[in-house]
Amino acid sequence: MKSSTICQKWLKSLPPTQGYLKKEQSIGREFLLQQGMPTKKDEAWRLSNLNRLNSFLSLPTIIDSEDIKSNFTYTFPKKDENRERIIINPSKNPILDINLPNGIEKLNNREIEENLGKIVKSSNVKNDFSVSLNQASSPEILALKIKQNLNQSLEIVIPSIEGKSISTRIFLLIEEGAKLDLLQIFLGNNNSAQNHLIEIKLESKVELTHGLISLGEDKESSSICTLAVEQLEKSKYSLHSIHHGWDYARFEPRIIQSKGDASTIIKGLQVTKSKEQIATHSLIRFEGPNGKLDQLQKAVASEYSHCIFNGSIAVPQKAQKTEAAQLSRNLLLSKRARIDSKPELEIVADDVTCTHGATVSQLQEEELFYLLSRGIDNEHANSLLLKGYYDEVISNFPKSARKWNFIEKVIPNIKK
Amino acid sequence: MISSTSETILSIKDLHASVEDQEILHGVNLSVKEGEIHAIMGRNGSGKSTLSKVIAGHPSYKVLSGSIQFKGTNILELEPEERARIGIFLGFQYPVEIPGVNNLEFLRVATNSRRKELLKSELDTFEFEDLVKERLKIVEMDPAFLERSVNEGFSGGEKKRNEILQMALLEPVISILDETDSGLDIDALRIVASGINKLSQPNSATILITHYQRLLNEITPDFVHIMADGKIIKTGNNELAIDLEKSGYDFIGKNTKDKETAK
Amino acid sequence: MTQTNTVEEIVSQPYKYGFITEIETEKIPKGLNEDVIRLISKKKNEPDFLLKFRLRAYEQWLKMEEPDWSGLTYSKVDYQDLVYYAAPKQDIKKKSLDEVDPKLLETFEKLGIPLSEQKRLSNVAVDAVFDSVSIATTYKEKLAEHGVIFCSISEAVSEYPDLIEKYMGTVVPINDNFFAALNSAVFSDGSFVFIPKGVECPMELSSYFRINSGDTGQFERTLIIAEESSSVSYLEGCTAPMFDTNTLHAAVVELVALDNASIKYSTVQNWYAGNEEGVGGIYNFVTKRGECRGKKSKISWSQVETGSAITWKYPSCVLQGDNSIGEFYSIALTNNLQKADTGTKMIHIGKNTKSKIVSKGISAGQSKNSYRGLVSISPNAEGSRNYSQCDSMLIGDQASANTYPYIQSKQPQSNIEHEASTCRISEDQLFYLQSRGIDFEECVSMLISGFCSDVFNELPMEFASEADKLLALKLEGSVG
Repeated sequence: MKSSTICQKWLKSLPPTQGYLKKEQSIGREFLLQQGMPTKKDEAWRLSNLNRLNSFLSLPTIIDSEDIKSNFTYTFPKKDENRERIIINPSKNPILDINLPNGIEKLNNREIEENLGKIVKSSNVKNDFSVSLNQASSPEILALKIKQNLNQSLEIVIPSIEGKSISTRIFLLIEEGAKLDLLQIFLGNNNSAQNHLIEIKLESKVELTHGLISLGEDKESSSICTLAVEQLEKSKYSLHSIHHGWDYARFEPRIIQSKGDASTIIKGLQVTKSKEQIATHSLIRFEGPNGKLDQLQKAVASEYSHCIFNGSIAVPQKAQKTEAAQLSRNLLLSKRARIDSKPELEIVADDVTCTHGATVSQLQEEELFYLLSRGIDNEHANSLLLKGYYDEVISNFPKSARKWNFIEKVIPNIKK
Repeated sequence: MISSTSETILSIKDLHASVEDQEILHGVNLSVKEGEIHAIMGRNGSGKSTLSKVIAGHPSYKVLSGSIQFKGTNILELEPEERARIGIFLGFQYPVEIPGVNNLEFLRVATNSRRKELLKSELDTFEFEDLVKERLKIVEMDPAFLERSVNEGFSGGEKKRNEILQMALLEPVISILDETDSGLDIDALRIVASGINKLSQPNSATILITHYQRLLNEITPDFVHIMADGKIIKTGNNELAIDLEKSGYDFIGKNTKDKETAK
Repeated sequence: MTQTNTVEEIVSQPYKYGFITEIETEKIPKGLNEDVIRLISKKKNEPDFLLKFRLRAYEQWLKMEEPDWSGLTYSKVDYQDLVYYAAPKQDIKKKSLDEVDPKLLETFEKLGIPLSEQKRLSNVAVDAVFDSVSIATTYKEKLAEHGVIFCSISEAVSEYPDLIEKYMGTVVPINDNFFAALNSAVFSDGSFVFIPKGVECPMELSSYFRINSGDTGQFERTLIIAEESSSVSYLEGCTAPMFDTNTLHAAVVELVALDNASIKYSTVQNWYAGNEEGVGGIYNFVTKRGECRGKKSKISWSQVETGSAITWKYPSCVLQGDNSIGEFYSIALTNNLQKADTGTKMIHIGKNTKSKIVSKGISAGQSKNSYRGLVSISPNAEGSRNYSQCDSMLIGDQASANTYPYIQSKQPQSNIEHEASTCRISEDQLFYLQSRGIDFEECVSMLISGFCSDVFNELPMEFASEADKLLALKLEGSVG
């Protein structure tokens, strides 16, 4: 089927626009009606396996209680004592299921209306398919306000549903001076698709540590996640992400330091095998002076897989004294695999320090030889070196996150 | 060497200066005559380095009030390069690396701009090479350093020798050597110190800015000034440095505090 | 800040080559169609294969769209309002320089390229191109003794049609891109170089391009072939008078290096850049590509780009032969409203191929200076390596520096390393130099020169000084 037909058919299959997201739904649907699916001519999608995008539209998006039952039999690891867990059930308002701890409040409809969609719009991405797809189909939203007196951590789990395509939307408003440790887990499922739109606003002096574990677990699972973050002055945002195991995954972190003078740390890891394709398209823009960025993106591609990194950094004239560093490090472990790294630095301010680096290589032979010469077998030695390679990203996750077994998943799967 | 008829080279009066809108110097007074060696000592942050940068005319430092005169003329309006040409030399604590700019070429251009001021003929490449090779001996420096970029990849000691080499070439009237001894091992310190001794002339003067006594074992100052909180709080002869070595800055600090409370 | 302003003044040197030569010119009427192409081909007495080549390219061009991918806005060229052939009125090419119009000789002399026997550069052979035609080539006889062919492309078409037919369009296919197709249809003149097997070219070869007419598009074509185990160093220089209108320059350069051959291609580009308000100036839309066809062959591009209103130029290397080497060294200085989008493509196909990219961009005024590059390693290019370094220097807070280094690898036994940085003239370095008595202006020149030194070192000795002057660097002997 032609992709435009798929798009129209899907739009027809959606329930009528309704609820407090009605306006958003119309915007997304209108866009898709006009633009259809992305094509190879769209620079941002040129490297994407566009066939795999179809699953977001061709899988049914209507979820009934039977689907949920079979799906939510997932046995998740035990939750931390000090970490409130929210499991997102795509057909229900997620707020209903949880007892909000002290320091977290539900946003009221007016607050939602005032804020929703603004951050993602200010990221100013042309032909924004990822966002439109979500806007068109998200029926509910998890919209929370984090207050300064919060002393709990937060965990948000979003499992896919077998044979379905789901859309989830989250909005977090983190109030001045608050501190939050947020852990998000995306889990794939057989023949499933999930797309997420997350908007986070960090008011001034906020500190947010954001761990994102995205694991496609079974066959033919796909994920698209757009993460739009606005940082006000003196805020600190650190994002640590791992993507692994998806047939198709696309992660789009977009961070706007709307007044500059904030600090952003991004450490991302993506690991692909078999015929998977995982892409990170990041965008960081400084709208005021004295901003800081430290970005490290690591990718490892083996077998027939394909890792993509596209990293845009914009330092306009008003962002004097910005310090930004971006490093893209890639390991290519097989002859059939492929790495694409495409940094884009746009700078119009003279008093800035911006550095950028990119490498593509294999595991260092001397290091490998050293381990082998100490009697370690090849497979083990490779795993050890990979573990070392991942450590820069993995070590940033809280210890309690280890129970999601992402380290075990990422390491034994590597074959030369 | 010092006599009452000696000409005053540098005269600083009630100097107040700031950097990034913060006042660092709170009224410095200092007078240096021909043939004299002065040492300025003091803790980190006492304003020693600021004083040297202000004399050399660093654009980030603002003079709020007071005066600096060189041989009787006000130099505050002069650009850094003009100050250098009339014979004010600053040996940097941390000489900056300048990749891509050839050291030999840099030394030649600098030397010629000073020579022009002195109404001496400018040196061509060959003449200059002869001169620089002769001066290299003073600092026992390997000629290979001439072919590299300015200070790039030099060790701490090599950078300081390159500073003294520049001093040897520019033949300044007054040399302000900012922590020239820091980061040097004993051998390097001796070489640098003997270089400074060899280069001192009856009609020139030297200001050593230092943290420790050890450089002063190699070069004997005529005057020792103690700086604290942006002022010279005590002046004496070499004995003062030795006292300081024995009792540490606390002893001086206490004295000042007493003085302040007395006020 | 006053200091920044002064730095800006230093990099803004007036354009010295903006004069017009008053000379009677033969032009064909404006406009482009099949008849115009036939007319150009006829004027140049071309063999049938070349006319067909042109017509095929024209047919392709009609189907293509003018690119606007690099996000630059510019007033579009009206292709029917251009003259596609202009030549100083004189009979077919003169046998000796004595017969060349003295005004032309004078023009080149004014540009610093004396052609007459008494004054010509002693170790450089020059092909001088004025608007659409080559007017003189020096040292031809001496080169011929070594079997080296250096002449205008028109002459090569009539004298060595087999070589032209064999190689032209094989590196840059006629449908490669919009401007390459246009060039293939209407190219007027340019240089041809052939270095036979085993010959090391005894002197530097150089072409000097001069646009004189305001409404003439310049479409020169250069073809350099280095046979097995031969080597050559070639340099091109470019200037144009000042006109208020934009003049199009769409050249195609093709290089072919066979086994163990080496080609060094240097460019000093100083086309008129337009005035301070961005009025006028050359559109420099150029396709340059070299193929390392043979084992252990090497192609090295170096460029100093200071002129043109807009530059789109990506001198590239296709590294086919095993162990072949590609290099790209670039300095691009932009000021006022200039836009330069330049970089390279290194396509690794053969085993153990190596490439190196060093790019230095300096942007001042409100100019936009972009490095855009591609390093691609194909599955068979085992053992290949790339190293890239892209540094930008910004002068003033209105200028922009963009870096788009695209990396693609499909071969695990290969290494790609890329580094990029952005800086401005460091206050500390400036103060250090000043505190040694050196003039402010000279300090700035020294620092810019130091920033560019990696690239200067790659330029042929004879031209390093020209490049030096171009960047308004007054320091003697700091290069070469």
